[in-house]
Amino acid sequence: MVYLFDGSFEGALSAVYEMFYAKANPEKDMMCIRTLYQYDIFDQVVECHTSSEYAGKVTASIIETFGEEAFRRIGYAYLSEDEQFGTKLFRALKRAYRLGGNGLENFSDEAIMTLYKCYNAVARESHRMIGFIRFAELDKGIYYSQFEPTYDLLALVVPHFVDRLGDQLWVLHDTKRRKAAFYNKTDVHFSDLDPVEALYYSSREAQYQKMWQAYFEHIAIDERKDKRRHIHMMPKKYWQFLTEKNTK
Amino acid sequence: MDALKKLEILADAAKYDVSCSSSGSERKSVKGALGNAALPGICHSFAEDGRCISLLKILYTNKCLYDCAYCINRASNPDMQRAEFTPDEVVDLTISFYRRNYIEGLFLSSGVVRSPDYTMEQLLAVVKRLRERERFNGYIHLKGIPGADPKLIEQAGLYVDRMSINIELPTTKSLRLLAPEKNRNEMIAPMQMIKERIVENKSSIVRYKHTPAFVPAGQSTQLIVGATDEVDYKIIKISEALYNRMSLKRVYYSAYVPVGKNAIVSMNHTDALKREHRIYQADWLLRFYGFTADEILTKADPNLDMEMDPKCQWAVRNPHLFPMEVNKVSLLELLRVPGIGNVTARRIMAARRFGPVGFDALVKMGVVMKRAKYFVTCNGKYFGDIDLEPRKLRTLLIEPPKKGANQLKLFDLYPNVFNSGGGHSGLSI
Repeated sequence: MVYLFDGSFEGALSAVYEMFYAKANPEKDMMCIRTLYQYDIFDQVVECHTSSEYAGKVTASIIETFGEEAFRRIGYAYLSEDEQFGTKLFRALKRAYRLGGNGLENFSDEAIMTLYKCYNAVARESHRMIGFIRFAELDKGIYYSQFEPTYDLLALVVPHFVDRLGDQLWVLHDTKRRKAAFYNKTDVHFSDLDPVEALYYSSREAQYQKMWQAYFEHIAIDERKDKRRHIHMMPKKYWQFLTEKNTK
Repeated sequence: MDALKKLEILADAAKYDVSCSSSGSERKSVKGALGNAALPGICHSFAEDGRCISLLKILYTNKCLYDCAYCINRASNPDMQRAEFTPDEVVDLTISFYRRNYIEGLFLSSGVVRSPDYTMEQLLAVVKRLRERERFNGYIHLKGIPGADPKLIEQAGLYVDRMSINIELPTTKSLRLLAPEKNRNEMIAPMQMIKERIVENKSSIVRYKHTPAFVPAGQSTQLIVGATDEVDYKIIKISEALYNRMSLKRVYYSAYVPVGKNAIVSMNHTDALKREHRIYQADWLLRFYGFTADEILTKADPNLDMEMDPKCQWAVRNPHLFPMEVNKVSLLELLRVPGIGNVTARRIMAARRFGPVGFDALVKMGVVMKRAKYFVTCNGKYFGDIDLEPRKLRTLLIEPPKKGANQLKLFDLYPNVFNSGGGHSGLSI
């Protein structure tokens, strides 16, 4: 049996509700995103509707049984954009409900560990991005940052910058997913935003970028150069938006 | 000289200082002001030597009155270009880099210019302006200048997150030899003072809510390893004492890199770095794994094995404690198993509540089976497939040399032969 949902977090939770209700088989049955699903003649397909009532019930049940932290982790796992997220969630929950309480911490269970890995990947990249995000000052005094994380973590890093850079205007722009967070010193707004074609920087921006690049170059100890470790700690996929890796 | 040139010179001069950690402080943001400190610390970049860049690590100046033989900034080093920041230049760099999310904060150290007091006053001016004028709440790590008026050091402690006074060399004897102008007591006394003030401050924070925090992220220090002939045992013992008696958060070790002529000891460079790496591993055992220095090394066997990590060394010396049943032993015992770290040990403990943990689950939870398999049983089953015999174990646990590292030595090619010890039986394999 294949349960189809719309790909949203709410949709996945609604489908979980329907799968539990229909006593779906955790070994065989799957949950797939409608637009990505490849029709197979032997599949029995169940269309699931996104329902805030169902999603709400599942959320309440997860929080009540496993606690808020467990639910937060499930939210993170969703942001991994893993195509199999729905199936993984259902399988992990099916196992965990039998264990109750700390069930989602039973790391020796394969289904639970699989879901946990999705969470862990997103949590790790979020922590990394908090360090790797770079702002550049635009001519209107706005600090602009472009980045393209592997996982959809824009909303996860925003609170950190609200807290830290609370007295400056900034924009965090995920150009891969074409959306951005705008901060006006009091509130944050999320909105769709296509890549910006031309950016106008403040007069002193180039000077600080140059100084940062110089610092980056000079702080490395030549006798200890270790390219492998350098790339391991700071993978190349992030270099495009790192000021210090873009010297001209 | 413009700020860019100064930055280049004074970053170069600071890079041999090892510390870059920005952890341990939870400085809260203030509405309408800049910055906060993240408790776990954040790496913002990684230099080409693979080290984390978290803080803007610079010297205030590399002009120095002293002539410490191991130091690149020593007064007698003629090839050294010298520069000196002004407090405002440092403040501007810190704030501008911080706003662009390049850094977590500032790590400021300095050569001793004019006098220890004068130098300390300049450092104090920087941190004071950052906190009071710029209302900067990011992380600040400041070096205390040995020999400066304790009042200045104490005052600076109210503005910074972490303070460190370098102990430089492991023993007074080495210090006398290589840094004759420095005095061990001038390092220990302020360290002691900072420790006492931290304790005092913690108790008054409990009593009075608005007491300003004094060095909330604690103090650390740095030791140069390999410039003098101390054995590893001695170094680990010193670190243990610093952690236990001075309540230090970190001891950093720096392999002595001969800079310029005047090299004191000639040691193979890769070996020096390897030794530093092993000492750090031993340090980790002290801080996070519940080991004591005397468990890691002994007077009779005072040096770390370069081919095996210290935990493996300990395990090989104590075969009677293994194999451990992963489903029975305590967290502290699990932590002693090679291949099991803090995160995996905790995962195992969590999983054990639901039933016995099997071999496959250990792999999934991140246990390094390559090492752990010799030391554990899962539900009574042993996977190591050998008797726990120290010499045999050692051969199995030796880390193969990395590609491109030193050429294979005869020893590496025939470990069984050379390790079987006594008699000729080993040669018959």
